Order: sequence, then structure tokens, then C-alpha cells
Amino acid sequence: MRITDLISLCFENLRRRKGRTALTVIGVVVGTCSIVVMVSLGIAMNVGFDEMIAEMGDLTKIDVYNWGNQGKEVKLDDKAIAEISALDHVNIATPIYNARYLSASIFSGKNNRYQMDAYNIVGMYPEAIQALQYELQQGEYLKDAPGSGEIKKVPVLVGQNAGYNFMDTKKRRDNYRYPGMTDAKGNPLPPFVDVTKDKLILKTNVNDTTDTSLKSLEYELEVKGVMVEDYQKGYVTSAGIVMDLNLLKRLEAEYMKANKIKDPNYGKTGYDNVTVKVDNIDNVTEVEKKIQELGFSTDSMNSWRENMQKQSQTIQVVLGSLGAVSLFVAALSIVNTMTMAIYERTREIGVMKVLGCGLSKIRSMFLIEAGMIGFLGGIIGIAVSYTLSFVLNHFGPALMSMGLGSMLPMFGSRVSVIPPWLALLGIVFSTVIGVLSGIAPANRAMQISALEAIRHE
Amino acid sequence: MTPMIEVRGLRKVYRIGKEKVAALGGIDLDIPQGEFCCIVGASGSGKSTLLNQLAGLEKPTKGSVVIGGQNISAMSEKQLAVFRQNHLGFVFQSYNLLPTLTAVENVALPLMFKGIGKVKREEMAKTQLKQMGLGKRMYHKPTEMSGGQQQRVGIARAFVSKPKVIFADEPTGNLDSKTTVEVMSAILKLVREHNITFVMVTHERDLSGYADRIITLKDGVVLSDERQEHPVVAEELISEPEKENMTHEDQTETDQ
Repeated sequence: MRITDLISLCFENLRRRKGRTALTVIGVVVGTCSIVVMVSLGIAMNVGFDEMIAEMGDLTKIDVYNWGNQGKEVKLDDKAIAEISALDHVNIATPIYNARYLSASIFSGKNNRYQMDAYNIVGMYPEAIQALQYELQQGEYLKDAPGSGEIKKVPVLVGQNAGYNFMDTKKRRDNYRYPGMTDAKGNPLPPFVDVTKDKLILKTNVNDTTDTSLKSLEYELEVKGVMVEDYQKGYVTSAGIVMDLNLLKRLEAEYMKANKIKDPNYGKTGYDNVTVKVDNIDNVTEVEKKIQELGFSTDSMNSWRENMQKQSQTIQVVLGSLGAVSLFVAALSIVNTMTMAIYERTREIGVMKVLGCGLSKIRSMFLIEAGMIGFLGGIIGIAVSYTLSFVLNHFGPALMSMGLGSMLPMFGSRVSVIPPWLALLGIVFSTVIGVLSGIAPANRAMQISALEAIRHE
Repeated sequence: MTPMIEVRGLRKVYRIGKEKVAALGGIDLDIPQGEFCCIVGASGSGKSTLLNQLAGLEKPTKGSVVIGGQNISAMSEKQLAVFRQNHLGFVFQSYNLLPTLTAVENVALPLMFKGIGKVKREEMAKTQLKQMGLGKRMYHKPTEMSGGQQQRVGIARAFVSKPKVIFADEPTGNLDSKTTVEVMSAILKLVREHNITFVMVTHERDLSGYADRIITLKDGVVLSDERQEHPVVAEELISEPEKENMTHEDQTETDQ
């Protein structure tokens, strides 16, 4: 007997009992729906967590610290950074260096009227600035600065609102401007200094004013670009200055010399911390583990994310099990339907046996019928699930605002997320449940004695 | 020449509560190929039990049934299914057509079990139905046909795979006398044409007139075993108007 014949016979049999088939299928639809929707809530929770974490920080970023994770002595220097950069899946690794000793102010305007404290100067590898997604409002990224020679101009990137940080030293009141400020007529007031056009001078402070031998150093800042404000990257994108790491180190060294600051350990202990950018969120765990194997302590959003994922997995299992109860009930109704079908068709089964239909075929016939009920229920169930999911996502937020939010575990923008794998799994699962439910009735059908069956009236 | 059906020492004992009832008490029988054999007897004589044993629907308590050299008493259910597919045909008293299938599909059913493709098996079924004068009823469901027509479909189903042996259990039990004649002549014609061994159980003595041989059972043993030299010939059985009717139906079918 051919499989196509088997299937068309089964189809005919299901069609013959339309009403009952429909009812049983509805049972499976409800079962599939409840599992899929429940799991989709859990997945949405996961997605929500990710959205939440992503808002707080870059998920593909790892922070590496200059202390050992096993009490071991480690040094986070350029060599170590090169080692980390060489790891698989690492896009870039750079220190984000705050010159510890450097103390300076930035002046602009006539007679250096406008002043700004330069306490937020950050040094990075120039190639890392773009890789770490520091967006530019205008201008261009930095190029490598020369490693030696006299420093005349310092190429920098400035934060979006750096201009507003200048203070008018000639005034006692109203000596600051802030974004959105207007004059009496309502016209917007620009900051005192246009960082892209006005000349900026970096003047180092004198460490000890009593010591007249100490000098103040002056450098002209050359603004290459303006960064878009992004607090994930830090305050530096708002009102700070980013420059080439090596240049910053040289400035710091010159400053220390000018102020006669001596630190025997300077430059020997390595950087406080290094930022590593990983190519893909799924590789973060692996890279983080490798860096830890090098001996460094690390931190990333990933460990938090994994924790949250574990939590939501537990919730998913609980929700899924709740859904599974209704699918179990649906399975019972398939068993019931198939058993009824056998009683009704006892005679038919007997005739088929007498006409030479193999036992295994009779069995497959019932299994296929049960499987078809499951499959059909699964398909419709998935369609209904998508509809429900759509409704939840559209009216879920409204429910939240009505105070019913506690009923829906909502962490992100969506209440329910059904990825394709879940839809597919739902259909496969309901079909398998259907076939499993058919086993007992099918075995029963197989055991019907041909003779009894023909006599059956 | 070895007979088509060989029965040796066939016994069947049923347990009813604590009592044992011997339905068949040691039967030996040889039925040669192409023989039209009629088993008669009163109700409770064991004739249906014998047929069930012959057709392998029930296992005998003792003894063996050999059909075409194969001992069907020793076969598993699975082997029996294959054996039935290839060598046996059945005609039932209550037709036993599948209600959801059309006449063609019903006739094609045994061929489907054999694994023959839809186009080919339905072609074979149609030919068989036309021969039975049912050319106009091919796409009717059983409920849309008369008893006689249904039984002719049943006969077509039994003959379509050209089995070696066909068993019939009271094939005309539900039919009126006129239809009985129609059905019996149809059977007889096919049996003769294809040299098929035909074993029929009936309690209507009249029907035995068609048979080559009449085996009478009583209380589970063979009471008499008679052969008839000149059984009724198929053509004689069909009255003139019916003959015309059937040919007419066939012709309209070929015209279509």
C-alpha cells in the first residue's frame, strides 16, 4: 500500500467525521496556542532584558581591569593589550586613559576671556575611537599623532556640548550658557565659544604657586571633530576631549617635568582599565573567559545578561508547563476521538483485513489520522498564536496603563515574541503529541479480529 | 495433480464457559482448482466455521489448511495479509463495501493494498465493473445503490485481483430471488472464465444447483459430499429481458 493512498484514506476518514474532527482539532489549537503564547511571553522577557541592558551599555563590550583574578600579579600594559587584541572575535582593545597627573584649563576668546576646566581628557588608540562607536556630529576621526618632536598642535575630538562649559571670567553673574538658553526676546543664545572655529589653548596649571621655577605649558588644540553626546560612552562625549593616547601620555610627561613631579612607578604599572570590543554578542562569553585566563579581572554586561537569561528561562519553563497542561488535555481528546473512530469503524477495519490490508498499514492509518489532527491543530494554533501575540503587543501597553500590567510580565517593548523556531517547534510538537495519542487506539485497531469485525453489526 | 485446497484433520473447539463445544470434528477435504464448491447445512452445522478456517480468518484447534501448497494454518497475521492480497478473494453476505468510497474505489481497494498505483488500479476496477454491468454506477457510493448492485460491486472487488480462490459467505442472503439469480450467474460466469476455485457457504439448497460439488455438514462433520455432472450454465440463468438490459448498459458505457 502506498503512503499517498494511506494519507488520502485518512483524509477521507477525517472529512467524513467533520464535526468531531473539528472539535478535536480545536482542542489541539487551544493546547498549542497556550504553550506557544506562554513561551513567547518568556522570550519577550528575554528580548526585553536585552533591550534594557543595551540601553545601559554596549553588550559587546568587555572591561578589563589591571588586577589579577586569582591573586596573581598582572600588568595591563601595551603588551597585554596586544595579546588581548590578538584573541579571536576581538575587534579592538584600547585603554581609556585619564591622565592622572595632568591638570589644565582650556582658554578661548580675546585675552583668554573664556575658561574651561580640562579635567575630562581621555586618551585612546585613534583607531579604537571609531570602532567603539563614538559617533561624530561633524569633522573626522583622529589619525595617529607623531610619537616624538615638539608638540605644537594637539588634534582632538570634543564633546557635543563642550562649548557650554566655558565660563566668562569677566562676569560675576550669568557667566555660563547652557543649551536652549534664550535672550530676553526669545532668541537662542549660542555658547560663548564655538569649538569648531575659535582658537582653543590648553594651559597647564602650576602645581605649586609658591615655587616660581615651575612653568605653565601652552598647547593649541586642533579640533578635528565633534562627538555626539552618548552617556554610555561617558561624560567625555558631552563636554570632554578625546585625543591620541600617546599624545596624552607625552603631554602628561611634559607636565610632570615642568612641575617637577616624580613618580618612580609611573608608566610601569600599566593602565587601570582597558575596553575590549567583541565582534558579536554571542562571542562575548568566550572572549571574556579567554581574557580571564590571561589573568585579568573583567566585567561586561554579559554576565548580567546570562543571569537574567537563566531567570527568564526558568520563567519560560514554568509558563510552558502551564501551557502543556492544556495540550495534555487535547491529547486525551485525540485518544478519545480515535477510540470512538475505532468502534465506529470496527467492521470497516475487519473488511480491510480480510481484503489483505496488512496490520502495520491499519496501524499507520490510525497513527496518521491522529497525527493529522495534531498537525492541523498545530498549524491553526500557530496562526492563532501569532494573532494573539499581535493583539498582546498592541494592547498590552494599554493594559499596563490600566493597572493590569502586573498580569503581563513585560520588560521590553513587546509582551510576546514568537520567533520562527518556536512556531516550527509548536507544529512539530503538536504533531508528535497527535501521533503519540494515536498509538494506543491504533494498536487496538490492529488487534481487532477480522472475523469479529465482519460479524460486527 | 495436487488440489487447490487441502484440508486435513481439521478440528475447531470453542470454549463456552467451562464447556468445550466442538464446532468442527475432524474434516478432510480436497478441492481441486476451478471447482465451484457449495457447503450447505443447517444452522449450527459448522459450515461458517469451516469457511472461516479455510479462509484463515480463524486458527484451527487442530489440523491444517493448505491452499496452493501453502499451509495457511501456520502463517502469522502478517503473512496471512500478504497471502490474502495475492491469492484470496471474499464475497460477504452484507456486501461490506466501505461507505465513503465509490464503486470504483471499493473495487480497487484490494489492488491498493497490493500497492498498485491509482490510475492503473482504477482502470482495472472499471473494466471489472463494466463486465458486471455496472458501467453506469462507477462513481456511486454504496448508499446510492440497490442491494443487488452493491453485491455485484462486492463480487467485482473479489475478482478484480484474479485470486486463486474466492470464498463467499451467504452471498445472496440479503437479496430477493430475482437478484439472487443475477448475482449467482455473474459469479458463475467469472469463475468459469478465469478458472477460479470458488467455495460458497449457504443454507439455501436452491443455490447448490449452480455448484460442481455440494458438501453437506451436520454437527461439524461431513454428512455427504456429492458431485454434479451438469451444473447450471451461466447463460441459461439469465432471462432474456435482463440480458438485453445488461448489454444495453454496457453499450451506453462504451459510447461515452
